[in-house]
Amino acid sequence: MNRSRYFWKALAGSLCLAFAMAIATGCSPAETKASVKKIPANQEFSGFLKDYASLKPNPNLDGNALTFAAADAKQNLRSYFAIIVDPVEVYVATDADASKVDDEARIALTNYFQHALVDAVSDAFPVVNEPSPLTLRLRTAIVGVDVGGQVAAGDVPADAKPLHQALNIGKVGVEMELVDSKTGERIAAMVDKTNLGAGAEVGAANFSRMQKFAAAREAFDEWASRVRTFLDSEHELKGEDAVKADQSYRPYGE
Amino acid sequence: MKRILSILCGLLILYSYSPSSLAIQDKDKDKDKEKEVTPSFPAYVDSDLCARLMLGPITTQRVDCSVKTYKDGSNPVLVRLDDNTIFSVNKEKMVKDYVGGFGEASGDIKVKSGTMKLKGFTPIERSQIPEGPATKLLDVRTYQAKGSAQLHEKVRHELAMIAYITTFDFISFTLVGNDVILTGWTVRDTNRSDAEYRVKKIEGVGKVTNNIEILPLGGIDMEIRAAARSALQRTHSTYFWSNGSDIKIVVKNGTIILLGAVRTQQDFDTATIQLNSLSGVFHVFNMLRVTPPAPKDKG
Repeated sequence: MNRSRYFWKALAGSLCLAFAMAIATGCSPAETKASVKKIPANQEFSGFLKDYASLKPNPNLDGNALTFAAADAKQNLRSYFAIIVDPVEVYVATDADASKVDDEARIALTNYFQHALVDAVSDAFPVVNEPSPLTLRLRTAIVGVDVGGQVAAGDVPADAKPLHQALNIGKVGVEMELVDSKTGERIAAMVDKTNLGAGAEVGAANFSRMQKFAAAREAFDEWASRVRTFLDSEHELKGEDAVKADQSYRPYGE
Repeated sequence: MKRILSILCGLLILYSYSPSSLAIQDKDKDKDKEKEVTPSFPAYVDSDLCARLMLGPITTQRVDCSVKTYKDGSNPVLVRLDDNTIFSVNKEKMVKDYVGGFGEASGDIKVKSGTMKLKGFTPIERSQIPEGPATKLLDVRTYQAKGSAQLHEKVRHELAMIAYITTFDFISFTLVGNDVILTGWTVRDTNRSDAEYRVKKIEGVGKVTNNIEILPLGGIDMEIRAAARSALQRTHSTYFWSNGSDIKIVVKNGTIILLGAVRTQQDFDTATIQLNSLSGVFHVFNMLRVTPPAPKDKG
């Protein structure tokens, strides 16, 4: 009887522990890991990427995008097919007051962008949570964020929650890299700078639903889409590869 | 012992709340939306391997393939004769004794995911299959090998040019008149939909049946994929180039299916030996074709 009671106690205890751990690990928002950093003074880039020297203008992408893709025959983008999308980091502009960056605003911003990235890449690169062979890790940072003005409740619809302080994203850019999820070796990278202009800001927790913040929503969707365009262009079969793929392919159902 | 059991239960609960598990549950919910309840239909009981490689008439050769590969570990599946759609079934026990034969199957089907919740299966003789689309597809004359070479080549070329195809994907097809049956395995959703899109837009193509299976990623399968590619890149390097390969490595739940072509029987044999020695591999189905290079023109 005592042994039986001990068993049920142990079972209940472990279930409680498991549930608590599940809530702590699985159900908590991943974005809490993100932090706010600052672009060093007089620097062109944020320092989020370890190396910027190998980045080159990419003719497949409009604007000021700089990209890098490993050319190693055994370890390039085509060697991988799954992806981990890391929480997005935020780098504030050099002259911005980082202490005034509202946590809620940062979470709204990074959450939206992370989801946009997942949506953009997931049918080509299945999104997974654990590092494994053939899996990339997508590290992304939004750089150049500035502190916006106070948000008046009247600026957003009654059913939406305004942020205490808006985030100005008029001069932001995106830096991202794809690394081997096991070794950390860099496989591809991209720096995409776009000037959205005055008025582009995030002022509500669910800004994606509001017309007022349409510029922010469109900007993040566009960046995510450009990441996908970059991946697509690197996978496109060209020249000798296309010829070899064509010659090699013979179906079985004949 | 009981303490261990309780910890295992806890871990199970923990897994059920993990993000990956939640993602899978969400996907399952989406798939439920496409569930169809259909009346029973005549089906051929095939092995997964032959169904996805040999779609065509049910000849003696195909029956032999079904029986042999099933014995070697390929799962039994149902091929709906009306349209050649392949269904993985939840209750394999109900059909496993009839691999290579026919039956009347009933249950809930999900066409997009190619799965069936089997409720009933009654074995039948080939002669009992009612006249109609099902019997038409059993007839070898229905499968057009001649006269549509141009269409065949167009389809083949379109499928060869899919950008995201890797060493770990293999997409095949069969022409039934002007209808196309797509088969094979892929690790990416986009390859399945892209293949169908590309084939549908080819002028002259009729109905397209999409039997391409999206493979589970699985932690162990990922390890096997990486190890298998690495092993073959060492021993069969001439079949690999910078962005592709003549040899395709399909990995599903610890089973490897080797597809494509090699030039010699020795290359064929050593590939099997190499992959059988990998950790975690249950079975290697070597379906490579040995195609010696054409002799050079001496003139």
